[in-house]
Amino acid sequence: MSVTATEPVSKEAEQNWPAWFRDQQTSAWADYEGSPDPTRKDEPWRFSNIGAIGLAEFQPAESVTSEGRLINISQGLADVSAKLVFGNNALLHQDVERLPHGVLLKSLEAAAREDEELFRKFFMVQPIELGSHKYASLHQARLSTGAFLYVPKNVEVALPVEIFHWIEGENASIFPHTLVVCGENSKVTVIDHFKSADGKRAFACGVNDLHLEQGAQLNYVAIQEWTRESLAFHLNSTIVGRDASSTALNINFGGGFVRGESLSRLIGEGARSVMLSLNPMDGERQIDQRTLQDHAAPHASSDLLYLNSLDDASRTIFAGLIKVEPGAHKTDAYQKVRNLMLSDQAEANSMPGLEIQADDVRCTHGATSGEINEDELFYMQARGIRKSDGRRLIVNGFFRSLLERLESGSLRTYLGGMVSKKLGVSSA
Amino acid sequence: MSLSIQNLRASIGACEILKGVSLEVPKGEVHAIMGKNGSGKSTLAKVMAGHPSYELSSGDVILDGQSILDLEPDERARAGLFLAFQYPMEVPGVTIANFLRAALQARLPEGEELDAVAYYRQLYAKMDALKIPREFTSRSVNEGFSGGEKKRCEILQLALLEPAYAVLDETDSGLDIDALKVVAEGVNALRSPERGFLVITHYQRLLNHIVPDVVHVMVDGRIVRSGQKDLALKLEAEGYDWVEKEAALAA
Amino acid sequence: MSTDTEQDISIDRSIGDFRYDVDYAFDAGTGLSERTIDYISDVKGDPDWIRAFRKDAYRRFVEKPMPTHWASHDLDNIVFENIRYYLSQGTAPKRSWDEVPENVKRTFERLGIPEQERKFLAGVEAQFDSEAAYSNIKKAVGEQGVIFVGSTEGLHKHPEIFRRWFGKVIPTGDNKFSALNSAVFSGGSFIYVPPGVKVKHPLQAYFRINAESFGQFERTLIIADEGSEVMYMEGCTAPKFETTTLHSAVVELVALPGAKIQYVTVQNWSPNVFNLVTKRGLAHEEAEIKWIDCNIGSRLTMKYPSVVMKGRKARGEVISIALANDGQHQDTGAKMIHAANETTSNIVSKSISVGTGRATYRGLVHVPRHLKGCKNNTECDALLISSHSRTDTYPAISVRGQGNACQHEASVSQISEDQIFYMQQRGISEGAAMSLAVNGFVNDLVQQFPMEYSVELKRLIDLEMEGSVG
Repeated sequence: MSVTATEPVSKEAEQNWPAWFRDQQTSAWADYEGSPDPTRKDEPWRFSNIGAIGLAEFQPAESVTSEGRLINISQGLADVSAKLVFGNNALLHQDVERLPHGVLLKSLEAAAREDEELFRKFFMVQPIELGSHKYASLHQARLSTGAFLYVPKNVEVALPVEIFHWIEGENASIFPHTLVVCGENSKVTVIDHFKSADGKRAFACGVNDLHLEQGAQLNYVAIQEWTRESLAFHLNSTIVGRDASSTALNINFGGGFVRGESLSRLIGEGARSVMLSLNPMDGERQIDQRTLQDHAAPHASSDLLYLNSLDDASRTIFAGLIKVEPGAHKTDAYQKVRNLMLSDQAEANSMPGLEIQADDVRCTHGATSGEINEDELFYMQARGIRKSDGRRLIVNGFFRSLLERLESGSLRTYLGGMVSKKLGVSSA
Repeated sequence: MSLSIQNLRASIGACEILKGVSLEVPKGEVHAIMGKNGSGKSTLAKVMAGHPSYELSSGDVILDGQSILDLEPDERARAGLFLAFQYPMEVPGVTIANFLRAALQARLPEGEELDAVAYYRQLYAKMDALKIPREFTSRSVNEGFSGGEKKRCEILQLALLEPAYAVLDETDSGLDIDALKVVAEGVNALRSPERGFLVITHYQRLLNHIVPDVVHVMVDGRIVRSGQKDLALKLEAEGYDWVEKEAALAA
Repeated sequence: MSTDTEQDISIDRSIGDFRYDVDYAFDAGTGLSERTIDYISDVKGDPDWIRAFRKDAYRRFVEKPMPTHWASHDLDNIVFENIRYYLSQGTAPKRSWDEVPENVKRTFERLGIPEQERKFLAGVEAQFDSEAAYSNIKKAVGEQGVIFVGSTEGLHKHPEIFRRWFGKVIPTGDNKFSALNSAVFSGGSFIYVPPGVKVKHPLQAYFRINAESFGQFERTLIIADEGSEVMYMEGCTAPKFETTTLHSAVVELVALPGAKIQYVTVQNWSPNVFNLVTKRGLAHEEAEIKWIDCNIGSRLTMKYPSVVMKGRKARGEVISIALANDGQHQDTGAKMIHAANETTSNIVSKSISVGTGRATYRGLVHVPRHLKGCKNNTECDALLISSHSRTDTYPAISVRGQGNACQHEASVSQISEDQIFYMQQRGISEGAAMSLAVNGFVNDLVQQFPMEYSVELKRLIDLEMEGSVG
């Protein structure tokens, strides 16, 4: 049965989730079925390859074949403070013993039962405004688990929290979810890994919501490594309160067609949001990213930098909007997308936008598309480096410049190593 | 005939910065105000010129017998008050030639047109004196200027607008000794029995080149001591601690 | 400035805000139907293919929805049934001002057109409502083989050139308003510049709307043959009415290999005019098309001058200034279609929003697959004057393949309180300081207009800024 066909609620869901949540799922399902499919004439889907979004052949995921194997290969950073491992919509493993007192890291269903007030206050409360409302409804209707992290007031979690989301099985579907709530003046780093267990084509429809209360600091990194045939939605919202600061980095190493939506809403004075994305594109892979920097409060700043390298017949869409609402004076907003074109077949579409309704602001945006600087390449060749190696080195350097934005040195090293590996450059 | 500041109190937001400043600069004299950063020197300059960010709670500024506090900033300027800014603003796209022309035109009676030939003759003469290259006239006001160029441009405007009173706010900051000499020569050339100067500075260095008749010391929003030019030398040699102590005892 | 200055701008539109009564010999009445089109075709003596072209266009106009899924909903306030689509005193323009009917002549004299013609123009066409009242080209220019006539005359007298290019750059169905124009077009210029001829002085058209509840639909077609050069300037005004006036032109430019066309517009419609214009140029090998566009007037302007660079090394450029005052929406921009190797395009757009004004930039840059050495550079700067002002930027840049370079930059800024204070400290009044700063902001673009226009433009901006500081 297709993942988009109506199915009865499983016994498992009956037991795991409270009834009020299952009611919400029922209405989400109705909303999914009642919403029209997007068309290219819809502004949020301009330039998009809507033909690539066929869900009919995807199936609900079965249980994974070997939990132990997946738990074993869920290795990221050397030092972490906690780890959760999910596989095919089920929690396989949790290691949360070393977390500071009061920090909650658990499955969403456990949070819905045990921390109902918190859960209800933060779970999918942001309207999906960047086009994928229908798929967010599908996500909510089909959700069976996910990660819930709550860091209480004044608590700093020194080492990163790592979360792994595995998918296994031909045409399997998963609905990963990460909900992070940072209390006042708290600080935490979260790394979400999205990985394929068997290299098969699959469908992922994920939501990650980040909430930062006054003075909180959050570093969030999503590393997406789906297979190059897979279809994926990753819908993100970040709500930043007064004097809070968020840095979110989305890395897309995989996926055949990936739709990413990232919304940052700055709701308190002095709030700051840094939105980064790093996308080495190749083959016939396509990525369609839509972003919104919504300045609802004065004296807030946002800074977006998206980098794409486009090899082979890959294709990218970036549509970003800086929106400064009336009264959000002293806004400082920046937005930039850079496309490094590596092939004659590649295509980059950029739509950087501004909507400004306050006057005492500084807003700039830019978009560039260009090829590798021939002089740089020649310089490398003159030092005896092969042209193809030189190109890879330059692309690697292009992405490294973005990683410099990250605060943590160990995270920079780790991610830099992954980028080098992806590009076939020795990371020494 | 004088520029007289009388018990001036001013604040920005909830923070009072000037706490009753009084001093008088008669025409023909050069007065200096010295003080540490944050003592209120620059605020005094901006308040006199009518900067909209400051709230006045009491006091007056009297220019040749007339209060100027009810006047708009441009009206104060035309009444004869010139402020050389510590940080001159950049005005993109507006050339120095056009800017100064507009400033001079604003001083003519309505309906009277500025004599362009005479204007350029005068402008070029003053630029030469200040060693400002002629091509500066077609550059935008202060845009891309070095610190020294900005300060020289302020003095050029002072020379051209010929005010009755000039307030120089930290005109020496960011200048090397050669640039400082050029600026000081420019100012000295403009000293006259018909003009009063109020020189605000952090360092005594400038006062070697622009020798003041009177030195005032400002501490925490008040003038705490006034004296001859040797007061500046004493401050340079001994720092501000002793005046602060004296002020604290007096308070 | 962040201070909440309430806007009370009394714009001096005295230059265009007057009207003399005129009797019309031909009036298609109010509303639009096939009969209106037959009426227009009958009056103009259209050949059959044009009548058919109009009717096909009318059908497409009716079919096409309003583009409000991306454009302003203010478009929904246009009531097409309340518009008058054709008004004229006759279809043949006069060659001498003395022959022009008195009130029409007085109108253009007051706008300074005959004087400008004497001073610096190679030819003038003066359109009054639906038809040109006057059209003339300097003898010496005419003798070089340059054709400068109205669209009707061009169609009748030069069908071999006209028919080859008419409707080829902008297809009827390009958008709802190009379809409307194609159905009811009247007036506008037809220009042909023979190979190698460089027209030294500009040709100018002046578009005047005099009647109330009227729609003006001029159609301009300019063909610059190989290696030729021409500059065309258009100005426009209308008296201010309570009712809606519609102006919907279509302008097609063809620059054959090595030719250069510069098209200059100073749009100063009264604030009841919907100005919905389609402008596009086709640049062949090594040809250059440059749109220099300034929008100050109208209620809503939607205009995105385009260049299709069809031949190798063709160049396209759009220089755009928009000033959106209280109640106005200037929705302008540019489209650059790179359709050959080594083509280059440049877009520089500056907008100013005052009071409740809104300025929008929309841009499209397209570099399709298999091209090499294409370059685009886009710069958009917006200046906001008051806290109720609004500005938007919506560019779309599609690049395929390596070896091409596109760069887009945009910024939004305001005139700071400290800048104004600095200027005031030199004795310049607040209003004059604001005007200086705004003129400074657009100064580099104003330089690109012909001298006679840049002086006028500066004066217009000064007037618009008057009283914008509370």
